[in-house]
Amino acid sequence: MLIVDDHQPFRAVARELLEAAGYVVAGEAADAAEALAAVAAESPDAVLLDVQLPDGDGFTVAKALEAPDGPAVVLISSREADDYGARVASSGARGFIPKSKLSAATFAALLE
Amino acid sequence: MASTAVAPSRGVTRDPVLLLPLVVAAGLAVGWLAVREHVSGPRIAADLALAWSLAAASLVVLERPRWRRPGLLLAATGFALLAADLEWATSHVLWTLGFVLEGLWAAFLVQLVLTFPEGRSWSGVARIAIVGAYTVTLGGQLVAAFVAPDARDVLSLASHPKAAHTVDRAQELAGAALALTVLVLVLQRGRAWRGPTRRTQEPLLLAAAATAVAGLVWLGWVTAADARVSTLETIARAVAVTIPLGIVAGISWSRIRQPQASELVVELRREAATTMRERLARALGDPTLDVAYRLPDARYVDADGRPLELPEGSERALTTVTTGGEEIAVLIHDPALLDDPALVESVRATAALVLENERLAAEVRSQLAEVRRSRGRIVAAADAERRRIERNLHDGAQQRLVTLSVVLGLEASRAHPAVARVLSRAQDEVEDAIAELRELARGIHPTLLRDEGLQPAVEALARRAPWPVTVQSTVRDRLPEAVELAAYFVVSEALTNIVKHASATKASVLLEREPATVRVTVTDDGAGGARIEPESGLAGLRDRLEALDATLSIASEAGQGTTVCAEFPCGS
Repeated sequence: MLIVDDHQPFRAVARELLEAAGYVVAGEAADAAEALAAVAAESPDAVLLDVQLPDGDGFTVAKALEAPDGPAVVLISSREADDYGARVASSGARGFIPKSKLSAATFAALLE
Repeated sequence: MASTAVAPSRGVTRDPVLLLPLVVAAGLAVGWLAVREHVSGPRIAADLALAWSLAAASLVVLERPRWRRPGLLLAATGFALLAADLEWATSHVLWTLGFVLEGLWAAFLVQLVLTFPEGRSWSGVARIAIVGAYTVTLGGQLVAAFVAPDARDVLSLASHPKAAHTVDRAQELAGAALALTVLVLVLQRGRAWRGPTRRTQEPLLLAAAATAVAGLVWLGWVTAADARVSTLETIARAVAVTIPLGIVAGISWSRIRQPQASELVVELRREAATTMRERLARALGDPTLDVAYRLPDARYVDADGRPLELPEGSERALTTVTTGGEEIAVLIHDPALLDDPALVESVRATAALVLENERLAAEVRSQLAEVRRSRGRIVAAADAERRRIERNLHDGAQQRLVTLSVVLGLEASRAHPAVARVLSRAQDEVEDAIAELRELARGIHPTLLRDEGLQPAVEALARRAPWPVTVQSTVRDRLPEAVELAAYFVVSEALTNIVKHASATKASVLLEREPATVRVTVTDDGAGGARIEPESGLAGLRDRLEALDATLSIASEAGQGTTVCAEFPCGS
C-alpha cells in the first residue's frame, strides 16, 4: 500500500500503525505528483490519501486513480468529512477517515 | 485648451481697422481701371459692393480674438474678387494676373467654411477638399494660362484651343465634385453641434450649404451641357455673399440671445432646487456646461464628489473660478462663450461664492466616498487575515495534534492494559482539543465556503444545529468572496442567536438570487422580541454589511418568531 501526506511525522506514524497491523507499505508520497508516479511504479492495492496536498487536492488525485483495476483509495484529513460537503462522495474514493480517528480497525473496515 | 486670459492684440495684421483703407484703395483702383476700360457701371458697382461688404464683415469678425483666421480669410476673399477684375485691364501682364487669380476667391471661401471657427480643418476629408479647391482654382487657371488661345496671355506657351477647352471642363467637373463634398461636410457638421456653438455657427452653415448647392447646380449644368451659362454663374456668386453675411449674423444673433450680466446675477443668486451646474448652463445658454470643483489635493470632482478629468484640446474651453487667489472650480464649457469675455467674467465673479459652498459639499462627498472605499478595503484585509489564520491553525497546531492522537492510539493498542487506559484517556483529551480547534477554525473562515460556495456551507451549518433547519437556495453560481463570507456570517450568527435565545423548534434559511441582489433570510418559530443590540454579533455584522452597501433588518414581534434578512447589491 501507499501513504500520501505532506506531513512527514504523520506518514511515519501511519506507516508504523499499518505495518503493525500486517499491511505492507510499499511507498510514501508527499504531494499529488509523487503520488501518481508512485501508484504507476508500485501498483499498490490501497492508497491512504490526504485531502490537502501542496500541489492540489486529494479529490482530484482520487478521481485520477479511479479505474476498475485501480487501487482502493481511502481519504484522510485533519478536517471532518462535513467540511468538504459532497466532494467526498463524488471523488470515487472508498471512504473517508478523519486523521485523528485513523487506526488499523477503521482502515480495515473501509477496505472490506 | 482655450483660456479666458486673452491679451490685448497689437501689430498691423492684428489691428483689423488697417484693412479698411487697404480694401478701399484696392476697390478704387479697380474702379478706376474699369471706368478707363469702359466696363459697364452695374458690373463695377456689383463687384465693389461685394468686395467691400466682405471687408466690412471681416472687420466685425476680427473683433473676436478667437476668430482671427476666418476674419483674415474673409478679407482675403474680398481682395481676391478685386484681383479677378484685373481681366478688364488692357495691359497683358495685368490681364494674365487677373486670369490666373480668377477663381481664387472661391478657394478662400471653401477654406473659410471648412476651417470655421477655430482655423483648423474639421477633418481629413475637409483638408483634402481645401487643398483640392486651391488646386482646381489657382493650379487649374495656371495650366489654362499655358495653353490659352488668347493674345493677351503672357504666359501662353502654345495656343491650343482644344487643350484649353479640356482644362476648362476638368476644372468644372472637379469644382462640382468639391461643391458636393463641401455640402456633405457642412450637413454632417450641422448635426453635431448644440448650445452656443450651434447658435453662432448655424447661419454660416446654412449659407455655406446654399452656396454649395448653387455651385453644384452651376458647375453640374456646365459640365452636362458643355457650355458656359453666365446666369447660373451670377446666381452662384450672389449666393456666395451669404457666407460673410452668415458669419456676421451668427455673431450678432448669439449676442442678442446671450443674457446680460445683470440678469445673470439675478438668475445665479436665485434660491432654487437646481444645482449650480444647471443654473450656470441655463444662464449662459450652454447645456453642455460642466463644473469641476477643485479639491485641496488638486484633484477635480463633480458636485457629487466623483472624480473628473479636465478635458484637453480646443473642443471645450476652461474658465477658472477663484476666490481670494485660490482656485475653487473650473467651468468646462463651449468655446463660443469666450466670444463675449465680459459675460464669462461676470459669471466668474457672481458664481464664486456659491461655487465655493458647492465645492465644500463636493469635497465632503468625495471624502465620504474615500472612507467607504477604505472601509471596504479594511473588511477585505480582515477577511484575508482570517483566511491566513485558519490556514495556519490547520497546517500547524491541528496537524501536530492529529499526529499525536494517532500515536497515542497506536501505543495504547500495544501497551500493557493499565498503560493503555492512561494513553486512551490522553487520546480522548487530544481529540477534544482537536474538535475545539476545528470549531474555532470554522468560525474564523469556513473551508467549505471557500471551496464549495454559499449553499453547501450553509447546509453544513444547518446540519450542526440542534433542531431541523431547512435550506432553500436559488443561488446557482459562486458570488464575490466578500458577499459569500458576509452572507455566511449572517446565517451563522442568526442560527447561534436562535440556539441561545429563541427557544425555537425549527428554523429555515432562504438564499435568493435576484438579477441585481442576493437576499439571505433566516426565520425561526421561537419567542420573537429580538432586536439588534449594540455590541452584539449582529451589530458587528451590520458594519461588515454596510461596507458592501448591503442592508440588515430584523423583524421579531413577540410570540411571532424572528426573521433576520440581509440584502446585498450584487449584479450577476
